[in-house]
Amino acid sequence: MTYLAKPRLHHPSLSPNDLGFTRRDYEGSVSTLCAGCGHDSISAAIIQACYDLNLPPHRLAKLSGIGCSSKTPDYFLGASHGFNTVHGRMPSVLTGANLANRELIYLGVSGDGDSASIGLGQFAHAIRRGVNMTYIVENNGVYGLTKGQFSATSDKGSKSKRGVENHESAIDLVSLALQLGATFVARSFSGDKAQLAPLIRAALAHKGAAFIDCVSPCVQFNNHSGSTKSYDYVREHNEAVNRLDVIAKRAPIEVDYAPGTTTTVTQHDGSVLALHKLAAHYDPTDRIAAMTYLAQRQALGEVVTGLLYVDPEASDLHDSLETVSTPLTALGGKDLIPGSSVLAKINADLR
Amino acid sequence: MSGSLNLTNDFVVKFANVNGSGSASANSMFAKSVLRMGVPVAARNIFPSNIQGLPTWYEVRVTGDGHLGRRGGVDLMVAMNPQTWDRDIAEIESGGYLFYDSTKVLPESKFRDDITVVGVPLTRICNEVYSVPRERQLFKNIIYVGALAALLGIEIEVIETLLAEQFAGKERLIKANVDALHMGRDYVRTNLTPLGLQVRRADAVGDRIYVEGNSAAALGAVYGGATVCAWYPITPSTSVVEAFTDYCAEFRIDAETGQAKYAIVQAEDEIASIGIVIGAGWNGARAFTATSGPGISLMTEFIGLSYFAEIPAVIMDVQRGGPSTGMPTRTQQADLISAAYAGHGDTKHPMLLPQDPGECFEMGALAFDLSDRLQTTVFVMLDLDIGMNEWLTEPFKWDDTRSLDRGKVMTYEDLESGVDFGRYKDVDGDGIPYRTYPGVHPSKGAYFTRGTSRNPYARYSEEGHVYVDNMQRLLRKFETAKSLIPAPELRKSKTATRTGVIYFGSTTPAMHEALEILASKGLHLDALRVRGFPFSDEVYDFIAAHDRVFVVEQNRDAQLRTLIVNEGDVDPAKLPPVLHFDGTPITARFIAAEIGTRLGATAPRSPVPEAAE
Amino acid sequence: MTLFLSERVRRGGRDLDLPGREEARANIHVGIDWLSSVSFGHINKIGRRVIVLGGGNTAMDCCRTSRRLGGEDVKVVVRSGFEEMKASPWEKEDALHEDIPILNFRVPKSFTHENGKLTGVVFEVVEAQYDDKGRRRLMPSGEPDEHYPCDDVLVAVGQENAFPWIERDIGLDFDEWGMPKVDEVTFQSTRPGVFFGGDAAFGPKNIIWAVAQGHDAAVSIHRYCQGEDVNDRPPPGFSLTSQKMGIHEWSYDNDVSNDARFRVPQRDKGESLKDVRLEVELGFDPKLGFAEAQRCLNCDVQTVFAEPLCIECDACVDICPVDCITFTEDGEEEDLRGRLNAPSLHLDQDLLVSNKLKTGRVMVKDEDVCLHCGLCAERCPTGAWDMQRFTLEMTHATAMTGGGACQAR
Repeated sequence: MTYLAKPRLHHPSLSPNDLGFTRRDYEGSVSTLCAGCGHDSISAAIIQACYDLNLPPHRLAKLSGIGCSSKTPDYFLGASHGFNTVHGRMPSVLTGANLANRELIYLGVSGDGDSASIGLGQFAHAIRRGVNMTYIVENNGVYGLTKGQFSATSDKGSKSKRGVENHESAIDLVSLALQLGATFVARSFSGDKAQLAPLIRAALAHKGAAFIDCVSPCVQFNNHSGSTKSYDYVREHNEAVNRLDVIAKRAPIEVDYAPGTTTTVTQHDGSVLALHKLAAHYDPTDRIAAMTYLAQRQALGEVVTGLLYVDPEASDLHDSLETVSTPLTALGGKDLIPGSSVLAKINADLR
Repeated sequence: MSGSLNLTNDFVVKFANVNGSGSASANSMFAKSVLRMGVPVAARNIFPSNIQGLPTWYEVRVTGDGHLGRRGGVDLMVAMNPQTWDRDIAEIESGGYLFYDSTKVLPESKFRDDITVVGVPLTRICNEVYSVPRERQLFKNIIYVGALAALLGIEIEVIETLLAEQFAGKERLIKANVDALHMGRDYVRTNLTPLGLQVRRADAVGDRIYVEGNSAAALGAVYGGATVCAWYPITPSTSVVEAFTDYCAEFRIDAETGQAKYAIVQAEDEIASIGIVIGAGWNGARAFTATSGPGISLMTEFIGLSYFAEIPAVIMDVQRGGPSTGMPTRTQQADLISAAYAGHGDTKHPMLLPQDPGECFEMGALAFDLSDRLQTTVFVMLDLDIGMNEWLTEPFKWDDTRSLDRGKVMTYEDLESGVDFGRYKDVDGDGIPYRTYPGVHPSKGAYFTRGTSRNPYARYSEEGHVYVDNMQRLLRKFETAKSLIPAPELRKSKTATRTGVIYFGSTTPAMHEALEILASKGLHLDALRVRGFPFSDEVYDFIAAHDRVFVVEQNRDAQLRTLIVNEGDVDPAKLPPVLHFDGTPITARFIAAEIGTRLGATAPRSPVPEAAE
Repeated sequence: MTLFLSERVRRGGRDLDLPGREEARANIHVGIDWLSSVSFGHINKIGRRVIVLGGGNTAMDCCRTSRRLGGEDVKVVVRSGFEEMKASPWEKEDALHEDIPILNFRVPKSFTHENGKLTGVVFEVVEAQYDDKGRRRLMPSGEPDEHYPCDDVLVAVGQENAFPWIERDIGLDFDEWGMPKVDEVTFQSTRPGVFFGGDAAFGPKNIIWAVAQGHDAAVSIHRYCQGEDVNDRPPPGFSLTSQKMGIHEWSYDNDVSNDARFRVPQRDKGESLKDVRLEVELGFDPKLGFAEAQRCLNCDVQTVFAEPLCIECDACVDICPVDCITFTEDGEEEDLRGRLNAPSLHLDQDLLVSNKLKTGRVMVKDEDVCLHCGLCAERCPTGAWDMQRFTLEMTHATAMTGGGACQAR
């Protein structure tokens, strides 16, 4: 960490987006995580994505649980309301917040301990309810804040910094999310912002439960040889299925890849996802195929990254509940209280 | 038989049934028919944690004097369950009556000689008329209602009206039920004579309504402006949310679009339920959950967060018998301490203590104003007795000029005017800070909510004095809460006395009746009903003004008494506890006996024994 | 024999030989002479309306002095545009602050007079035009001439030859401005053995430059005297010292101030205009002086990058407030400059390009915008970045003579 505030001075040519904000305007407090933490790179990618998306910072609510990853919402979008909830319970709080005001954009940030161990249940249920959110797990395979215990996503056979081997099977959150009905599923790597930032951008624009598993090396406790979440390991085994360009609605689609190598998917908000195929025949709109592909590649020790699945026709929890388009928070007494005459009728029925 | 009880508008009928036999609605109709004759009733379900097969009882106290508490003892047993026959027979008061299905001949040893036995061959009648087994089962219940009407002097037209209301629009069903009703009546008319227990038309009900507390609390939530409800099914609170769902479907649908002005989510557990409530409360919606003791245990971490991060939430705790799974379908007032102090570290939370469904409605609505005003979790402490039984209660009232009190919330305009916003700053000296809703302003008013210590501007701080200042402010806020919680209700004895009694919640009707019993024996007590926590000064003034103050409650460890002792400067010796915790609702007889005995010389020599369950 | 000339240039103020000059001579003064007369106390007043001709610092001194000697309507009229004026920006700012208008693109044509007394100046209005080579020429704009009435004119334009006493046929060449042609490294003139430094070499700068040039000239003179090539010079040395003290503690002050330049407090205008001898600038007080000093960007503390230690975690990229660090594929400089996280605007500013890293990429740092805040090094988990103080060790002639070896410093 650093205790000095990051100087407000910025590059003279730093350009504002359509809203007049520079990328720096999307920053938060200075990170207190260890130097070199992958989580900080993810924060930077979130900042980039929100800037690219022309997102008014105050229209996003950022929520997290407990742990290193869950501290990060303090480090981006300083003009957004944030909520550091309790361990493993961010999904429920986010669900409630979303029910209260469907007009804000919800970003949940969690870690592998927070989502795959203590919060596995809440993770699963928020996904299967189709809460409209972007759910990022900053996955480092280790408990950082308590100094290096294995987490539930630590691969079987991987070794801790002290050389202890992990004998328990790993939980793969991507496979789980696919099985549970997430309508946007991606995996990325904190060390590859060029891949990660567009994925976050597309996820924020997605209507429905969007899940990104982001491998994020813990420099302090899980970046040694024998780890499967280290910078070196992930770089050596990274199998990206595609490269994503997000094209804002109304913007002309210009993709400079050779014909036949690009798929486009139009999302609910009109934004177009242009996917440059890196793995031949990979179809990101086929959920079953995605699950099979993942299983095959994982068996080979590869870390499959990219936009793995998207349902462009996704719906969310508000659709299922058929709630009014006005945020529930905006409804006043007139909308909500039936009044004394109705009560008189109710009384009459109870005699 | 000589010595038979002759009682008019003042007796207890108990139905012993098998769970799942469809008796509940017939029994309820019986109680309601008495009400419709202008005679108050107090009816209680005593049911197992079971869907089918285990014994269940329904106890109806016909009480022309309006004593709505459980009296204790049974004057007429409607014994429909062979499984519990022996204990049911044993429970009948001497001189009382037994009503049973005489289709099967029973040996004399199965009866008592100090009671009147009334046999109606219900099964035989059914088998003669109905061929479908399910119909036989269901109509048997209606037939005994018809028979009882004839035996007890209940006007058959009243029941016919009730049937017509219940099956409105389903003429075939109405006719079938009325036919069954008549079969029972006619059998009695032909073969038997009316009992010494009689219902006589009166005018003692007034405009009171007959409703379950859970349903009333749910309606209170509707009127309190709740828009988000998250819950996990648990007895005895489930019907709160079921009722809320029904009321919302009726009153909260946008007329133009048909869309819902509410969101109800059945969560994966109680933890997620309260998490959703807190998320919605944080974001500016009025949200609640309904649960019972085990749920409170699970929610405790989140309740602590709500206390420390100051987020409004409403929890309707319909208390049941604890600890652990305890007695899921029996009543207790045993969550007071776990609710009042839920959470690790120093925490305390306001509670509202309704005495009946009328107050469940009032407090169900008030809780939302209070939680917004105090920015914390507010408990509405129902119990199974109030929640799941229909009570005769004052009609619901609503003042149309009343608006939702959203508490201290800074708007866009406030922020724009340049006021200094500190989320945890005590601006007004009442310990309550101002908050902002997420998304309110592009550049002002955003803050980071956390369960960790922070300074008045919501910035993380572990400095000792910053933490202490914040904890002291939370205490100031709790002081402020005292003035917002409904004041206690004092019933002064007509005769001056140095003895008092404190009670709350569902104990109320039994307590009032007990006071009458005691007064008739020359024992006079001033009585104070507490209606919420934290306790206002009136509670401690009351204690100070008396030499001895009984604290009557329905738990083993005298939890209300513990709270009183813990929160104020009171000598515990001054507060003798009166405790009832067998899972059945407390009775007037029990209270009168306990207090009478403790008051020594003037006590009745042998208190009326409590009937064994 | 060697000769080193570093005399402070005395430039005579140039007169303006325009119609009316002779007739109105009593009220037309050469600015630099007039200023020294004021300084010596020979002159203590001037007319109410004054025109100052010229755009250099002398002109600024003239106009502001006029305001203090009775000039109420004082204006500066300049041939060039405002931006091209030779006067220092803060001098122009101060003149404007004292209510002195500056009129640009006006060339004096004649002095008007009546009964032997100056009445004003006529100006031709011009505009700037640029030729293919970007050289500026002032061309008549076609607008009518303008006449500004005045009581006195102060001429503060151009300069006389600085070295009238050097004969022009001794093998020492001069440029079109009358300045000697001097080698910028050796400070030797076109005539071997004759060296120039300070104002005499490249015109007025400050004393720091003069001392530095003296040192360099001394090296040349030493080598010349030894019969060695003056161009063959030992390079200056340098040292780099790590500034790291702790996880986030440096032995230099790395907290970058966000303040804009502080204005030097000035005496109240009404007061300072009354007395030509009163200092206008009051100077910084210690607190303000300190704050101004905090704006120092520590240009002597360099970011030093060690490739073998880098794990390419992007921490430095993410924290850099000015986006000057990029990890990318290697390429030619022009190509690289086009692929940086933030545009590389000043091509004269160097890029720091690392050797190939583990992923095959390189680290590129645009030195242009670096604030030397050290946050990249604070966030670096492996110490691949370090902040090191750079000390330049100049070659000094004394060391050379003392040590006898030219490499000594």
